[in-house]
Amino acid sequence: MNSDINIIFDMAEMAQKAAELSGADEVEVFGLMATSINVDIQLDRIDLAKESFSRGIGVKAVVNGAVGFSSTNDPARIVDAAKAATSSARVRHSDPDWTGLPQACDYRVVKGIHDPGIANIDVETCIDLSMKMIDGAVSLDGAKPTSGKFTCLGSDYVILNSNGVEVREASTSIDGFIECRAGDGNEMSTAYEFDVSRNLDIDFYRIGSEAARQALEGVGGVGVDTCKTDVLLKPNAIADILESTFINSLNSENIQKGRSALAGKLGEKIGADGLDIVDDALLEGGIGSARSDHEGTPSRTNRILENGVLGTYLYDKYTAGKDGVESTGNAVRSNYAQTTYIDVRNLKIEYPASDIIAETQKGVLVGSVIGAHTANPISGDFSVEARNSFLVEDGDIGSPIKSMMVTGNAFELLHNICGAGLDTRVLGNIITPTVKVSGLTIVG
Amino acid sequence: MNTQQVDFHDTRVLRSSGLSIFIDNGEIEQISNNYTSGTACRALVKGSWGIVSSDNIGDPENLLFSAAKLSGQAHRISPRQDIKLARVESPLIHDLPVVEKDPADVPIEEKVELLLEIHKRAKIQDVSSSTVMYSESVTEVEYSNSEGLEASYSLVRTGFAVTAVASRNGVFQMGRESKFNVCGYELFDRYDALELAETAGNTARDLLSASVPKGGRMPVILDQELAGVFIHEAVGHATEADHVAEGNSILAGKIGSQIASSCISVMDDPSMHGYGYYPVDDEGVESGPTTLIEEGILKSYLHSRETAAQFPGTGRPGNARSQGLARPIIRMSNTYIENGDSSFEEMLSEIKDGVYLIGSRGGQVNPGEGVFQFNAERGFLVENGELSTPVRDVSLSGHTLDILKHVQMAAGDMKMTSGRCGKGGQLAPVCDGSPHILVREATVGGSG
Repeated sequence: MNSDINIIFDMAEMAQKAAELSGADEVEVFGLMATSINVDIQLDRIDLAKESFSRGIGVKAVVNGAVGFSSTNDPARIVDAAKAATSSARVRHSDPDWTGLPQACDYRVVKGIHDPGIANIDVETCIDLSMKMIDGAVSLDGAKPTSGKFTCLGSDYVILNSNGVEVREASTSIDGFIECRAGDGNEMSTAYEFDVSRNLDIDFYRIGSEAARQALEGVGGVGVDTCKTDVLLKPNAIADILESTFINSLNSENIQKGRSALAGKLGEKIGADGLDIVDDALLEGGIGSARSDHEGTPSRTNRILENGVLGTYLYDKYTAGKDGVESTGNAVRSNYAQTTYIDVRNLKIEYPASDIIAETQKGVLVGSVIGAHTANPISGDFSVEARNSFLVEDGDIGSPIKSMMVTGNAFELLHNICGAGLDTRVLGNIITPTVKVSGLTIVG
Repeated sequence: MNTQQVDFHDTRVLRSSGLSIFIDNGEIEQISNNYTSGTACRALVKGSWGIVSSDNIGDPENLLFSAAKLSGQAHRISPRQDIKLARVESPLIHDLPVVEKDPADVPIEEKVELLLEIHKRAKIQDVSSSTVMYSESVTEVEYSNSEGLEASYSLVRTGFAVTAVASRNGVFQMGRESKFNVCGYELFDRYDALELAETAGNTARDLLSASVPKGGRMPVILDQELAGVFIHEAVGHATEADHVAEGNSILAGKIGSQIASSCISVMDDPSMHGYGYYPVDDEGVESGPTTLIEEGILKSYLHSRETAAQFPGTGRPGNARSQGLARPIIRMSNTYIENGDSSFEEMLSEIKDGVYLIGSRGGQVNPGEGVFQFNAERGFLVENGELSTPVRDVSLSGHTLDILKHVQMAAGDMKMTSGRCGKGGQLAPVCDGSPHILVREATVGGSG
């Protein structure tokens, strides 16, 4: 999966020059070169192996503070793309809030985000690792894999801007996902498991056996009565709920545009005592770690919540300029064809850990949720279908629950956190343990 | 391994360009242009697929060679039963949508002016912010395979979405309207975008004073949009034959059986000129309608060439679609419940007390367990056969087959809504629709 970063660097330089020539005051070019290997699993076999090569550039051209954007993967269209970015900027009115692109500066190197073992991996190894996941998934009687996916990615990016920013960095990632089922017909239960890392250190067999174990545990589900109760949200569940509500509300753009319930709440208590939330873009081996964000602002560690008190919003260069603060380094993008948006880098949810199942007299344990994206991002109200859920009685996990909805409000939830498990997990760029919340409503 | 040793191979070459404009609170937030091209080659050895894709048109011969090598490696390490592909005729590309106004001919200033006008109309009293999104794209596709089948076409897609957020005393509510289709700038002649903007604003404002109903089991009337989402999410996905093959569909083994009440008939039709339209699928198969459910009886699954051969007699291939250079997978297109012979008024008097749910904020489904959840945009309580209190933050959940059996009436007022559907990490443009339907009993989530 070796790639030659110079090709993309040359494309980026060419785009920068062309945009400057077409009259842009400032120019930023993001170039990305990526090679990936995917393996698809269907039932207990490899269904497909795929290799993709992608490279392209995204150009931001600024005229009077207004930004135009264009992207291309075609070397023959670079000049067209650069000109289109500049003319798009001209269509817009000048923007008095624009405070310029980031300035050149030094960057701290982040460790553990590039594994040569992944960068140089061959297809046979990828197929072997996928087979391990299948081996795990068929290791328990009564459970079978239905489908799965393996992905290995090596990418090089470059950021150039007319203030002299020049960032180059290489990174890798690997992830595996498999879904299993157990039981039949009305008694059928399904469960999935995944793991993601920057390094070749994932136990693929465990991913499979975990999915199988969870599918088996779900067979023979019981109904529940509608009531208010203690809900233990496992990492997947709490991450999904917070992503569509709380994280959305931390975005300074939403604050500035009157679309966040957290507007005006800096320094206020918005969460339970003992609740700390940190966004650490320098985390060693973090999925969202890099020396800079995708605008070229150096990465840093931001304390979002300390002991329940809101410390900062998430900023890019533009929104920070508008509020007269420094960018928090949260401008990201998922590919070259997209301009930057504000998102978390590695958001860690921390609360004093204990054996929360043993401490729960009566409640439910929710493995994952369906429909978190339907939550109201502004009010924080959510109503989701719980999956892989269990009754918790007298400090023990009891029967699986067949079908149940959990409804509540994400902002009230932050206040009502009253426990955290010892099971902190990395779910891409959210890192969290199981979180215990009092007084959520379950609907049977 | 060379390409002579593969059992089948095909090549797709894509060229596309697009423009998107995003207006946020009356400011032009973003104008983005995109020019991309790429090639994807797919090879089959026995039971294993290999795909290689590359940005730029590249060297198809070379990509094909690598794809052949990949499928050979996959076959050697994890051999599985040989894949047979359903036989297909050479496609006839006909009835392509005619673009009356090429979006590329409309000056960008004119587009921006219209979008700013849309913003203004959404911003009625109490609406604190609004966004307007516009996109246009043209995609050229060239398909060829080792059987000598060839197809090429070009498709223009245009659309816009407007969102209004109303707020009062710390309460925020949202209204959204959108139109996307396989057409040009004449989209704005067909639909009154300004009126739709006002509708979005009104929805947001009205929701401020709506209440959150008590959850529980009750009779429910679904409007066309929400019933369309239900049929797409809960039923359509379960008819996708790859889910069936994986044993991950509640509809596995149910062809020919009564799975829904007899007032339910469901079609998937990619040849219909909706946002889910395509003349040939990404395996070069000419598109055509599939009857999924006829008067409650499951008739067909949706197929690729692979699954159509795997499950003979359960429907035609022609629903393999891919996002860009990704692998083709089985997808819906324009999916809808056919008109029934009842009416909305009859439904109201039939249920007496219950809830009327309108619009959708999206949903999710587990096709294997048949469990689904989606949120309505808004609704009304129904009391004594009349619409009463407006409600918000309501969701519908339950088991697909229960709901299908509990459908009591379908009205004659079918409407289609365009959107994008995600599966396997790929997004596809789709449409779904339905008339109003009455469900005798369903779980409604609210304040508990």
